[in-house]
Amino acid sequence: MIASDRKQDRKTRERDKYAKKKSSLANKYGLDYMIRFLFIGRRSVRAFIIPLLSIVLGLLVWQWLTQTHADVILDFSNIPSPLHVYKSFLNVVVTKAYWKDIYWSLYRIALAFTIGSIVGVSIGVALGYSTVLRLIVAPYIEIMRPIPAIAWVPMAILLWPTTEQSIVFITFLGAVFPIVLNTWDGVKRVPVELVKAARSLGANRISVLFHVVVPYAIPNITVGMALGMGAAWFALLAGEMISGRYGIGYFTWESYQLIQYGNIIVGMLTIGILSSITSGAIYLLKRKIVPWSE
Amino acid sequence: MKDIGHIEIQRVCLGYKSGLDTKTVIQDLSLTLDAGSFTSFIGASGCGKSTLLNAIGGHYKPLSGSIILDGVEITTPGADLGIVFQQHTLFPWKTVKENVRFGPMRRGAGRAAADKLADEYIDLVGLSGYESYYPKMLSGGMQHRAEIARALANKPAVLLMDEPFGALDAQMRASLQDSLSSIWENTHVTIVFVTHDVNEAIRLSQRVVIISRRSGSISAIIETNRDHDEPIEQYMQSRRTQELKKRCLEMLPA
Ligand SMILES: Nc1ncnc2c1ncn2[C@@H]1O[C@H](COP(=O)(O)OP(=O)(O)OP(=O)(O)O)[C@@H](O)[C@H]1O
Ligand SMILES: [Mg+2]
Repeated sequence: MIASDRKQDRKTRERDKYAKKKSSLANKYGLDYMIRFLFIGRRSVRAFIIPLLSIVLGLLVWQWLTQTHADVILDFSNIPSPLHVYKSFLNVVVTKAYWKDIYWSLYRIALAFTIGSIVGVSIGVALGYSTVLRLIVAPYIEIMRPIPAIAWVPMAILLWPTTEQSIVFITFLGAVFPIVLNTWDGVKRVPVELVKAARSLGANRISVLFHVVVPYAIPNITVGMALGMGAAWFALLAGEMISGRYGIGYFTWESYQLIQYGNIIVGMLTIGILSSITSGAIYLLKRKIVPWSE
Repeated sequence: MKDIGHIEIQRVCLGYKSGLDTKTVIQDLSLTLDAGSFTSFIGASGCGKSTLLNAIGGHYKPLSGSIILDGVEITTPGADLGIVFQQHTLFPWKTVKENVRFGPMRRGAGRAAADKLADEYIDLVGLSGYESYYPKMLSGGMQHRAEIARALANKPAVLLMDEPFGALDAQMRASLQDSLSSIWENTHVTIVFVTHDVNEAIRLSQRVVIISRRSGSISAIIETNRDHDEPIEQYMQSRRTQELKKRCLEMLPA
């Protein structure tokens, strides 16, 4: 007790000494309070204020770069300023077209991701469960897996009757591989003891599949779904930019072509927000369906 | 008396294949386990007790010989052959209650009936109040008790138990030994019980089978012939029981 008091005392004294030395200078600019607030203040306040200041500073630098038309390596002469972006946002957010684009992108993601999850989990489980299926299907997976979904764009357009279908197809391809591979990996790890225990309690092979293999793999499946969601957005935007008619990727690309540069950044930020909302939804889903692993 | 749960072990060899090599663990072992009997297996660590128990449970195919349950060779595991494994095997994604009612529900019992059975056996192993816990939230000994409840709730014809009380404190062990004795007396399920503890083997079972690591087979079978009207503590203290214990311990290192 006493020792720690003394230590505390020494600390305070040192701090006072330091503050006194600084104060003459800081007081002159009225900064003393601010410095104290930022660096000695409560942790929670600090954790909120410093990131905020950092963003504000960033915006100021951005505003300055665009106003001065800075052109050193990166060319800012055509880049909209933050204020410009903000005005573009206000203009765009009241249009029906903007919300329609958001709706189309979310719709494509939902459709492609749902199909991708069902197909991906089924294939992953089958690969882990049946040796014959693994020998038949695994080579195709090994060949197609390293091909990025974007590389499928021309093929997809040739394969499907409508561009809409080809965009959903590309998005599906983005989602499906991470889900297959992670499901497969989870199924491979099922401990043989758990399968034995289930069999000894009267479970047949189908029961073992649904009561042991799939539940055991669920944490891995959700990891695959989170990765698949990221990949699905990636593929969707590529598809929309290249061949879309609606969608937030199309909105962003069209803004470039129509020289509405403020909207490019509105589009980018919208994409960021949508993709974090969908990823967050998967995280929540995981928390909900695997309470036993926490 | 019921007559299901009769096991005939006929000249079985058990072992593990690794590549071209086969390591034989159990060598030419024959034994009859009458329906409703209580047999203990005892032997040095690594002599093959778990291997033998797994084979009776239908999890290993013998290299040669056969194991026959009520006239039919055992080729797959099933609900008739209940087993409490040496390792923890509760399903981590199911609560204690969901684990215990798993067997009855697979056999087609309704949810209500399965729940009632589960409650009964959870109470029996002293886990009332922990029904909604996940295995992760239980101690090792509690997990073992939940596993025993899960095997019992399935009402198998044969109950194979691999050191089920090894991880428990003396008091809990004594209480579960009493429960197991009365379950056996009431249901006359055939019990095969693996243990390291000679006292436990003599206290619970009708026969103690000693397995030798050197020969991979039975080195002695000791009948306890306990008179069940005699109180258990008196029986354990009796001179005859002390004699049996000495004989078991003499046979053990072999
Ligand atoms: N899955 C396996 N693969 C290969 N060898 C194994 C396997 N399981 C057990 N063995 C070997 O078989 C022998 C018998 O093992 P087992 O588990 O049956 O012994 P145990 O009598 O149950 O021992 P303990 O009393 O320590 O549980 C050991 O030598 C062990 O190394
Ligand atoms: Mg063992």
